[in-house]
Amino acid sequence: MGSLSSLLEKRWVVVTLWVALAIVLIVAPLVLPEQTNQTITQIGVFAVAVLGLNIVMGYNGQINLGQIFFVGLGAYVAAWGVTQEWNIVLVFILSFLVPGIAGLIVSLAASRLKGLAIAMVTIMLPLVGVPMSKRLEEFTGGSQGIYAGFTTPPEWSGLARDQWQYYVVVSITVVVFILGANFVRGKFGRAIEIVRDNESVASSMGISPYRYKVLAFTVASMFGGVSGFLYLAAISYTSPETMSFVHSIGLIVAMVVGGAASIVGSLLGGAYYVLIPQITNAINPNLTSVFQGIILLLVLFLLPGGLVTLPATIRRLFRKMKTRERGGTSPSKDSTESVTKDSQLKK
Amino acid sequence: MGTFIQLVVDGLALGSIYAALALAIVLVHRATGLINFSQGAMAVLSTYIAYTATKMGIPLVLAIIIAIIFSFLLGAVIERVIMRRFEGGNADTAVVVTIALLTLITGLSGWIWSYNFYPFPSLFAFGTTAETAVDSVTFLGIEFSLKTITILGAVISVKSIMTTLTIVLIMILLQVMFMKTKLGLSLRAVSINPQSSAFSGIPVGRMLMVGWGLAAALGAIAGVLVAPSLQLSPGMMDGALVYALAAIILGGVDSPLGVVIAAWAIGVLENLAAVYVSFIGYDLKIAVPFILILVVLILRPQGISGTKTVERV
Repeated sequence: MGSLSSLLEKRWVVVTLWVALAIVLIVAPLVLPEQTNQTITQIGVFAVAVLGLNIVMGYNGQINLGQIFFVGLGAYVAAWGVTQEWNIVLVFILSFLVPGIAGLIVSLAASRLKGLAIAMVTIMLPLVGVPMSKRLEEFTGGSQGIYAGFTTPPEWSGLARDQWQYYVVVSITVVVFILGANFVRGKFGRAIEIVRDNESVASSMGISPYRYKVLAFTVASMFGGVSGFLYLAAISYTSPETMSFVHSIGLIVAMVVGGAASIVGSLLGGAYYVLIPQITNAINPNLTSVFQGIILLLVLFLLPGGLVTLPATIRRLFRKMKTRERGGTSPSKDSTESVTKDSQLKK
Repeated sequence: MGTFIQLVVDGLALGSIYAALALAIVLVHRATGLINFSQGAMAVLSTYIAYTATKMGIPLVLAIIIAIIFSFLLGAVIERVIMRRFEGGNADTAVVVTIALLTLITGLSGWIWSYNFYPFPSLFAFGTTAETAVDSVTFLGIEFSLKTITILGAVISVKSIMTTLTIVLIMILLQVMFMKTKLGLSLRAVSINPQSSAFSGIPVGRMLMVGWGLAAALGAIAGVLVAPSLQLSPGMMDGALVYALAAIILGGVDSPLGVVIAAWAIGVLENLAAVYVSFIGYDLKIAVPFILILVVLILRPQGISGTKTVERV
């Protein structure tokens, strides 16, 4: 273990690993079957949504039960832009600006309240959003939904549809994840984490809890919008069902299972969101939400830091067993490290 | 004018149901300081129990009592087995646990009873069976049943009046219980200061179970009262949950009376908006409390009854 972590500290090793990962990501769609490509594409779509949710909920501690609303809104804006045959770059920008503005309005109001009010306001978003989108038929196509494909591969590329979609979605996902990682590591990220941990301390340091809560929520909504754009890129269709309440809960489950306040956890969450329903649907579609509930409860009971803390937890268990064999109870650096990670959701 | 009075009375009946669910959430919040998002799902599960009991030939009143008892036990067991571990810890984690319960319980209802809509007999529609009750009911309580009375030219349904009266009666009973009985005193003591209560010999854990049980029972009453209008389905209370939470935000989670008044106001307002504001109509009624909250919060930052709080570092 020790030799591995010292190896990872060398810069050239890290660079090589990243380059290798990039090559794998680029070559993969050319060799993988169509269905696998589509699955990876969808993981990219929802990893972005989970990353946004993680920024507002994991890093900033505001419980957001309505992230899917912004995904749905982004998808609708993108679909509307595509059917109007606007420039695709403009459509992309609008598809995260509009949800961003919606998120700004919601959080300007909701962040004024203390405690759990944000959860109570955001749980309404999908429940209001679904009948709303059914009503605004001329923009959304009503209950029927709206077809709008823009990911037909250009002729020069010689790619199949699924491969082109993969490249479009995965490249945007990678860029968004780099932006997200920089955001949470930088000045703003540290500020929103202090707001989560203690608002009074934050304000005494000159960080306005209100402003940073609004900022985190707005950024999360924009990530949701990007995810909606990617959703349309991958599926070419959206309907009120996209933003249904069940899916909103699904995103929360995915974030907690992946790991709160973790970039890698967001990616794992995206994978969970796409893969688990595929598995549970294969077993029994009627049991999907029962499984969701049980898995979430198990993770909260046994692994509160999510899948991303699994290696640390296992290492700690091993260490415990070893110290028990020796009969000693020497606390080690590693175990305290994983404890702090565990407590991140609790904060 | 006749329509107006009718809408107001029906709105009050709807508001009463939201108030019951909201009070259940307030009850849990008082005892444990968290918002139970699965309150509506638990109410639906209890309503299914009542439904199954009536299908087995048990009279409706008895079936509802069975459902209320089941609900009380369900609430107490959930508190003891699942929530206890997360109480006293971080509120955000505990809330995510209630989200897990919401998914789990809704999923169980859907798995056992399917996602179809079932008609549910009304407690106040005398002599009607579930099958005939469907015909007399339209959407969300705006029904024109044969059982109506006419006051000042307004046709008012008996069901609406009875629903409102039932909920008011239950609220009075709860208030008496909290203020005049030893159990109520213990419950209040636990919610104000669990540690001191434990020192004075109050079984804190058992009181928390009772608090959750009472809340669940209250939710079950809301469930069986709303089921005849909405028809029974796993997602039946999703809308009611939105209204209940809106009432809590507007009324203040620490003020039961404020919550009830807010719930009535929402019930009446959404009913009027559905008829008089053509864009909203019946399908967008649910947006009314949401827009109300946004407007109020932007114009009045501290909330309607909110005060600025001081927190120690």
